[in-house]
Order: sequence, then C-alpha cells, then structure tokens
Amino acid sequence: MTEVTKIFIPNETSANSVGANLLHQIIKKINNDEGIKIIRNGSWGAFWLEPFIEIEKDGIRQGVSYRNIDLSHLNTIEEFFLDFESRNPFDINDIDFIKKQNRIVFSRIGNEDPLNIEYYKNTNGYQSLSTAFEIGPQETINLIKESGLTGRGGAAFPTGIKMQTVFDQDSSLKYLACNADEGDGGTFSDRLIMESDPFALIEGMTIAAYAVGASKGYIYLRSEYPLAKDYLLKAINIASDNHYLGNNIQGSDFNFEIELRIGAGSYVCGEETAMMESIEGRRGLVRSKPPLPAITGLFKKPTLINNVVTLATIPPLLLKDQSNFSKIGSNKSVGTMPFQLSGNIKNGGLIETKFDITLNEIVEDFGSGTQSGDPIHAIQIGGPLGIYLSSSMLNTSLTIESLQELKGSVGHGGIIVFDNSVNMAEQAKFAMEFCVKESCGKCTPCRIGSVRGVEIIERLQKHKTSKEDAILLHDLCETLESTSLCAMGGMTPNPIRSIIKFFPNELIEK
Amino acid sequence: MAKHLINIINPFLDKKGGLMPALHAVQDHLGFISKDNIGELAIAFNCSQAEVIDVITFYDDFRLKAIGKNIIKICQAEACQSQNCKELLHNLTSHFGLNINETSNDLNITLKEVFCLGNCAIGPSVMINDMVIGEATTEKVVNQLKVINTEE
Repeated sequence: MTEVTKIFIPNETSANSVGANLLHQIIKKINNDEGIKIIRNGSWGAFWLEPFIEIEKDGIRQGVSYRNIDLSHLNTIEEFFLDFESRNPFDINDIDFIKKQNRIVFSRIGNEDPLNIEYYKNTNGYQSLSTAFEIGPQETINLIKESGLTGRGGAAFPTGIKMQTVFDQDSSLKYLACNADEGDGGTFSDRLIMESDPFALIEGMTIAAYAVGASKGYIYLRSEYPLAKDYLLKAINIASDNHYLGNNIQGSDFNFEIELRIGAGSYVCGEETAMMESIEGRRGLVRSKPPLPAITGLFKKPTLINNVVTLATIPPLLLKDQSNFSKIGSNKSVGTMPFQLSGNIKNGGLIETKFDITLNEIVEDFGSGTQSGDPIHAIQIGGPLGIYLSSSMLNTSLTIESLQELKGSVGHGGIIVFDNSVNMAEQAKFAMEFCVKESCGKCTPCRIGSVRGVEIIERLQKHKTSKEDAILLHDLCETLESTSLCAMGGMTPNPIRSIIKFFPNELIEK
Repeated sequence: MAKHLINIINPFLDKKGGLMPALHAVQDHLGFISKDNIGELAIAFNCSQAEVIDVITFYDDFRLKAIGKNIIKICQAEACQSQNCKELLHNLTSHFGLNINETSNDLNITLKEVFCLGNCAIGPSVMINDMVIGEATTEKVVNQLKVINTEE
C-alpha cells in the first residue's frame, strides 16, 4: 500500500544534461504500480538542483536533488521511495531562490507536463485570447501599450508601438516572426519557455497575430535546441487539434498558422533582418533599416518580430484579475525581467524579478556566490555584446536605464559570473574573435575591423603600455560602433570598452 | 533528378523560402550535401547553383562532405569560459587526437566548437548529437560515446 500518486521527473535540456533522462528510465522500469503516474514535467529553473525529482503524496508535493546520484541498483519502486525519503525532501516553493522571485511569465514552468493543455487552460491559459477576441485588435494593442512592455530580446523597444505600426499597414498579408534564435552566451529563458511552457508562446503569438492582422507566423529556432524543437512541434499540433491554431480559431473568423523554421548555427541570424533573410532561404546577411520590418518585412510584407519571452509575456498582460505586471518598476524598466544567472555560480538558473534589483542581490542572494568559492572578479551582463562589471560594482541596479548609463545594456538578461581566475585581456580578445567568427560580412568595419581588433589586442597582451595600440583600439571601437549596420559590429566594442574602463591595467596600462 | 532526393525535398518545394529546410532534410537523410545534390537543388528551387552554395557555406551546420557519425560540439561561449571550457577543449582534442572540425578516420566522430547551448548554469557543456552534457568532463563525454556505440 502506497499513498504516492505522482512522480515528477523533468524533461528539460539542463535537467537531462545531468541525468534526468537516465533516472526516468530507471524509475519507469521499476514502477510496477499502475496507480503511480510518472510525469515528465518542465524545469523550475533552479538548475543547481537538477535533476530535481518530486513526489506527490497525499496531495503534498516535495522534491529531492538527484545530482550525481546513481539509482541503477534499485529493484523496486518502494526502494526508490525509501531512498527519496532519506534525502530530506522539501517543497521547491519554500526555497528562497523561488520564493524571492516574482514569477508572472514563468508562473507555470516546472509544475506539470508542458504539453498538458488542460493544465494550461486551468491556469489562466487561453483566457487572454478570449479577451482579445472580445475587445478587438486595437483595444488589445492599447492594453499592451499601456502595460509598458518592451522587447526582451535585447533592444527593449516598446512592444505596443511596434504592434501598432504593423496594425496600421494596409496589407492583405502580414506576418509574425518569433525570434527563437537565442544565441547570446549565458541565456536560456527562451529555451525554458519553449521546453517548459510552449503553449504560453503559442498563445502569445496568436494574440499578437490577431492584434496586428497576421495570418501566418514563423518561429525561427536555433538548431542547438533540439528538445525545444520537439516540444514546439508537438505543442503546435495539440493547439491545432484543439482549434487554437488553424482556421476559425475557437469559432472566430480569425485564421492563424505557425510554421517552425530551424536555423543552422549562425549567431547573426538572431539579428532580426538577418533572421528574415534566413527564413526567406538565403544567407543571413543583415538588411539596412529603414525600411522597418513592421512596414516591409518578411517576403516584403509588414511583419511583427518579437522574441520568445516578449510574446510569452503578452497573455499575462490581458488577464482581467492579474494586471500586476505594469505595477512593477518604472520608466523603461516596467514589469518583470527573466534574468539568467550562469557561469561560475553556485546556484544558477532562471530568475524572474523586477528590473530594479542589484547585481549583488542576484549573485549573492539568489546565486550564493561563485561555484569555485573564489572571489568574483567580473560579471558580464547582456550576452557577448554586453559589458563586464567589476566586483566593486555589485551595487549596480539592473534597470535598463542604469545599464545604459554604464554604456551597456540588459540585453536578453544574461548574467555571467567569473571568479578571479579570469583573464580580462582574453575576454576582450574573445569579443573580437566572436565578431570575426559570427560577422555576416556585409559591413567592412565588422568583417575586417574585428580581425584587426584581435591583432591589436594580441599586441596589447604583450605590451600593455603601448600608447599607439591603445589609441588604435579606441579608434577601431569608434569605427565599429558608428559605421556598422547592425548590433553585431555596433556593440562588439561594448565589452572591450568596459574592460578598459572598469578593469584598469588588465588590458591597457596607462 | 535522383528519385530519392526529390522525395526528400518535395515537402519544401512549395514553401516560401523552402531552401533552408530542404538543406536540413537532405543532410539529415544523406549526411551531407553533395555536388550532385547542389545541381538538383538549384533546378528544384529555380535558382543558380551559386545561390545554393552561397547558403550552404554561410551556415556552420551545413557541410559539403561526410563527417563523423557522432558530432561532438564543445561549447566555448562566455559562461562555459568561466568554467574552464578551454581546458576541456584541449583535453578532448588531445584525447581523440583530433583538432576542431576534424573527423576521425573511421568516420565515428567529428569535433566542433559551438557558442552557447543554453545550458549555461551548469557548464561546461558539450553536445553529442542531440544530447547535451552538463558539468562536462572528458570522462563523461567518453562514457556517453561508449553508450552510443554499444546501443548501435
């Protein structure tokens, strides 16, 4: 006789990367009790605990971290329960890492099988699409404008204004393109939505498409995310079977379909114009703007382009009883931001919180310091084009405004921690090397300037005091910034300049 | 046109911008994109061979010759840098006796570097085919390869 009714074993890239699939195989094999359901849930985003296995017993759900624990010697499910109980199970919602967050967009991740559409509907899912149908496109856009939501992909452009521009275009054919080419080092929030709550993205896309009048949506997914591909394909099918995609969605006269496109290992295709080229079947060369994609986008038609998290944020904005989002934060930094804490960190993972939080709170209160136990030396914020802050700057607030003041950006919310073994001159060189590798080649400063940049930094690594090279690097950064078409070349100087400024004598000695 | 190829690319011929998914499909089925395939793709998509080659050579994932059955991608992006991924890359290249972008003589493995697998909180990360390994070590990678090779 056992009271256990459910066992939750996550099926998510990070959890699987440390053995969740293997544990699932073992537990499935020894489970001979038909009354016990094994559920492959999403991840809670507390990655240091993965694989985090939970058991629901008498309606109470508790979990244990099975990191580096082998269960292959177990013969019966009772043995597993004994092992589980011996490891002090706890409710994940009781730990500070989860409790201190303000999960609005990521409210569902970890709870259930991500493909369980009934669970999705029972937790406010598809209520917002009904609301949108009730109030109509313009009113939907108005609500999104009023919410203060800005794009979470990196550029932080007001989402509602972009939608209005697409809405205002007089065209019988419009597109929606979801940018799921999450290529920034140190980011995984898009992946987590796609793997652990894919219907949130699909509903967000459907609402956005309805609002702007798009009949076809693309998801441009990077090829490095095979599990997200699997979940999205299944979720799109389930949504279609339940009349949430296709013709006459939920009995309305609105038609919308989603096609998944897979990238092919190019970072620059995360830039929206390069992404459009790639969807159109060409090399991912960036286009000049104007024309804006909202006016002349995919296949020369008006196109709304947003990243995954931005689109997944739309449903919560339209909930009647939960308009909390806009009450958080101020100015440009309104709502919650999913920060992704990674690198040399003890407790890394997904942290959805207000913007106005200090770096110290993120890396110490949430992250519990470095994994190595050595002091923090540098923290990079906002991906490969983001700035490095030194350990003396931990009181920096992570608002869009405060990072702009430091000539950086929140970007896609990646926060990478380095301990004191890091060589900052190497990090500066890497910024240029990355640009060499990933430049699409269209603009000369980005294509050639980055190669020269690597050479200059290599010389500086030998002679830190070379005034000539310091000036040359300064001028090169200025050229890259002011003459590149897109952010790849334009923002590559950001990490380098931050190293020169905040890490005196580590790259250039005066 | 070879009957086999047309079957593979047929679902994409009517799609707007169908060349990319077609290239993925060709590669998934045939392992790489051959010279013959390029000519056939150009006819099927009503473009020049140069345009097809243009697309293939822009993207890291597409290849013009056979590579290893198992592709091992070692992440070298910033979060993994903070977790000594350079050392891991060095260890793996010397263990297998291969440089990055090289394939073993028996066509069993190819080593590649990659920039971010989205597994950044538990790096360093390595991807073998579709499987990501977190907190990767040479030992973990070698063991996983053994598992794959025995399963076959």
